[in-house]
Amino acid sequence: MGFTEVAPKNRLIKPVWIASLLAVAALLLLPSLVPLDGKTHADWQQFLGRFHPLAVHLPIGMLLLVPLLEIGGRVRPALREASILVLWLCAFSCLGTLALGYLLAYGSGATGAGVTRHMWGGISLTIAVLLCALVRPLWASGKLPYAYPALLGCVMLLMAWAAHQGGSLTHGNYYLTEYLPAPLKRLPGLRMLQAKVPLVPNSFYAQHIHPIWDANCLSCHGESKVKGGLRLDAYNLLMEGGRDGPVIVPGKPEKSLLFTRITLPPSDKKFMPAEGKPPLKPEEIAWIKAWILQGASPTAPSLAGVSVPQPYKEVALPQVGDYSKLLGQISQLEASQGISLLPLSKKLGDGLVLNTINVADKFDDARLAQLQRFAPYIVEVDLGRTAVTDACFDTLKTFTHLRALRLEGTSVTGQGLAKLAPLSQLSYLNLSGTKVTQAAIAPLASMHNLRHLYLYNTPAQPVSAARAQEPSARSSP
Amino acid sequence: MKQHPLCTDPDHGPTILDLPIPNGMKMEWAALETRRHFLGKMGKVFGWAALASLLGDKALTGDAHAANATLASPESLRLPQFAPKAKRAIYLFMSGGPPQMDLLDYKPNLAQFYDKDIPDSVRGNQQLTGMTAGQARFPIAPSHWAFKQFGKSGAWVSDLLPYTAKMVDDLTIIRSTNTEAINHEPAIMLMNTGNMNPGKPCLGSWLSYGLGSINDNLPTFMVLLSKTNPKENNQPVSSRLWSSGFLSSEYAGVGLRSAGDPVLYLSDPKGMDRDVRRKMLDAVNEINHQTYQELGDPETNSRISQYEMAYRMQASVPDLTNMSDEPQSTWDLYGPDAKEPGTFAYNCLMARRMAERDVRFIQVYKRGWDVHSDVTGVLPILCQETDRACYALVTDLKQRGLLEDTLVIWSGEFGRTVYSQGGLSKDNYGRDHHPRCFTSWMAGGGVRPGITYGETDEFSYNVVRDPVPVRNFNATLLHCMGIDHNKLTYKFQGLDQKLTGTTPAEVVTGLLAS
Repeated sequence: MGFTEVAPKNRLIKPVWIASLLAVAALLLLPSLVPLDGKTHADWQQFLGRFHPLAVHLPIGMLLLVPLLEIGGRVRPALREASILVLWLCAFSCLGTLALGYLLAYGSGATGAGVTRHMWGGISLTIAVLLCALVRPLWASGKLPYAYPALLGCVMLLMAWAAHQGGSLTHGNYYLTEYLPAPLKRLPGLRMLQAKVPLVPNSFYAQHIHPIWDANCLSCHGESKVKGGLRLDAYNLLMEGGRDGPVIVPGKPEKSLLFTRITLPPSDKKFMPAEGKPPLKPEEIAWIKAWILQGASPTAPSLAGVSVPQPYKEVALPQVGDYSKLLGQISQLEASQGISLLPLSKKLGDGLVLNTINVADKFDDARLAQLQRFAPYIVEVDLGRTAVTDACFDTLKTFTHLRALRLEGTSVTGQGLAKLAPLSQLSYLNLSGTKVTQAAIAPLASMHNLRHLYLYNTPAQPVSAARAQEPSARSSP
Repeated sequence: MKQHPLCTDPDHGPTILDLPIPNGMKMEWAALETRRHFLGKMGKVFGWAALASLLGDKALTGDAHAANATLASPESLRLPQFAPKAKRAIYLFMSGGPPQMDLLDYKPNLAQFYDKDIPDSVRGNQQLTGMTAGQARFPIAPSHWAFKQFGKSGAWVSDLLPYTAKMVDDLTIIRSTNTEAINHEPAIMLMNTGNMNPGKPCLGSWLSYGLGSINDNLPTFMVLLSKTNPKENNQPVSSRLWSSGFLSSEYAGVGLRSAGDPVLYLSDPKGMDRDVRRKMLDAVNEINHQTYQELGDPETNSRISQYEMAYRMQASVPDLTNMSDEPQSTWDLYGPDAKEPGTFAYNCLMARRMAERDVRFIQVYKRGWDVHSDVTGVLPILCQETDRACYALVTDLKQRGLLEDTLVIWSGEFGRTVYSQGGLSKDNYGRDHHPRCFTSWMAGGGVRPGITYGETDEFSYNVVRDPVPVRNFNATLLHCMGIDHNKLTYKFQGLDQKLTGTTPAEVVTGLLAS
């Protein structure tokens, strides 16, 4: 069988060339005539557009067929006859798919570097396919021996690139490379999902900026869910940006996509955090802005002009020993004396608090002495208005973890107060309404932790009836 | 199952479980019955045993006596979640809504806006009350009074509060409290119970439930109502505000009357001595116990404990209310009003006496702050009635060493508008309800003294920095008392109910002492 190919009839050639070149021009002008403005448009556009990912596989499949037909045609020339038909089908399906894709991008308001690359990939591929179809007759007739194979090779490469861009849009940048075998990952130039670089401790970023992402963003931009190809779970990933390119431009908050998205009106479709999650707090936005302005550094420990209130820290109390074996004895004593000796909090190590208010008039030195076996675990003692006397200090001196002692309204005179000196943790002592004198409290001066000493209505600090009660305003500038 | 008391057929009496009532109720009853058997037998021992089991087996086997100890109140297991800074709290409630910009929220620029309309950008699309929504204009009424700075903290205080001015270094002033309710009843319910609708337990009840009592002879939660002044616009204050809601009625507040006997029928009638009263109570308790055995209603137990509390109060309340033991210095401090029972000053002194006796939560209501009109006429009276007493209370607690572990709170249910309600003149104006910002203060256990927290815009209309919504305000109060507001819960209507409600609340750490 000889290689014969029916040459297209001459009268058709011109209109086909004209129509094709018009189509090429239209395709090239499309992005400037109907620009992707980032706004959403009619719903029908998106409805149709969403068939783009489906339709796109049709031209891909057929385009792959073309070189197969051309190569197979060397053995069975009949196959070659099919290739021009397949090429034109490719060209038309490319045009259709391109239209759908453009509807999708235009209708949904998609923008960004990834979308733009994919769009130009699609447009150039379509043009190249059209050219292929036009050039092939010339190649078949021997007028242009190399143009067609070269063009077809370009089409294949263009197709691979454009398809990869599209895949990246739907699956994220690292879909292909994420599970690449480790040796291959080290190939130069391969954009690879980088490992998370640990935060620099004590940097402003680690202390104040990253926690904002952590609390508000990671559910969508983290390890498990990567919306928009953007991950915020490490500084290096944040700076790498997402599908639409970098999201932080150091020094330029207004050009940083992340900053613009969090400062849109909350009703805006592009507002972040999305899906009705609460907006960032004003001070958080202010910190982010200042941080970007001052270079978006991962290491700077502080920012000029930004003061962050020191976070409140619960001061841990000194812990007493383990008294859990004594709980039974404690409850027995409570019952027999009518007192309460309860843990200060659910954390038993915070110690026990002695309350005597329900049996105040009966609670004397002898009863107090019975508490001695629990002495190291008792941290607060309320003996207000009880019957204890100065002898109580002999027992109390063994309460080594005592922090607060109330003796107000008792008959103590302060003799023996010096015995409390070894109680290094004692910080509160209330002797109001007792008979203590200045001389009696003198030994307390050596107790450096005793910061709160109350002597109201005692000989040491008598209540003066002539207190000035009329207020006087002290104006200050 | 014992025969139902209402059933005449001895063999086939219906049980609770046979009644045509919802299944959920039956299950609740069955659960209560189990709990009743359990608690009834074990009481406090059970509590300690539970605590011991938290500590591991070692603790349980370590002491065999644990199971033999005598019974006591199961309340004693109610421990704070962490070491509390405040053991008790005194809440001075300024019912009606004090005008913040006339007292503590100084707005120096207002004078230049006199009689100008409040900008729309400030007012936004806020819904106003029916009292001013119809006004053609919203003219700004700058405060009639001058402000000065006081103390080391330099807090600005109005000339109306000369005594408060003296203690600013002890106060934590919050200018950014805000609420969602614009009318008295929902707003005051929200402040007290965390919910605008009645039926939820109030702060004091949650504290009683969560922490239990220290002094067995007085109620854990007491309420003091101040006498009303007919010159003031007094909004009603009802017992809903100290109700225990769905918690046992043991935790409801006990109100003292502002006139006459503080508690009615407190003294035994002639001819009835203490022993007779005791015998009578024992008999009544016996009957109540029987009722409880038969019906299993936990409210019966509440009644028993309340009868017992009343019996103990017969001895403790006269001692509490007999102020003849107060030295002259007390009267010098609180002022002459304090001599007259039922005044706010008297109640502040009473609150201090209760704090001394370890009453857990004391709430003092002062009504009349609802100054819709005649602010320059009424506000000085209100301040004169309260300013000195507030100062006296804080100072008195401080000198006696009680302020360290007593939290004092001063707040209304909302603030007032910067624009005048009704006519505005150089001499007078009125102010309508304003929920978006109001000023409160705290002092004492757990809060940072000498700070002013939060900020409003230059019209005292919107919070611009550090807002403190009611739920955060209450979460902070609980925090000072050693309670994690998310953990103080009670299962009711299928929800783990809590004071701070379902909207996530936060402790305002900026208010806390470090």
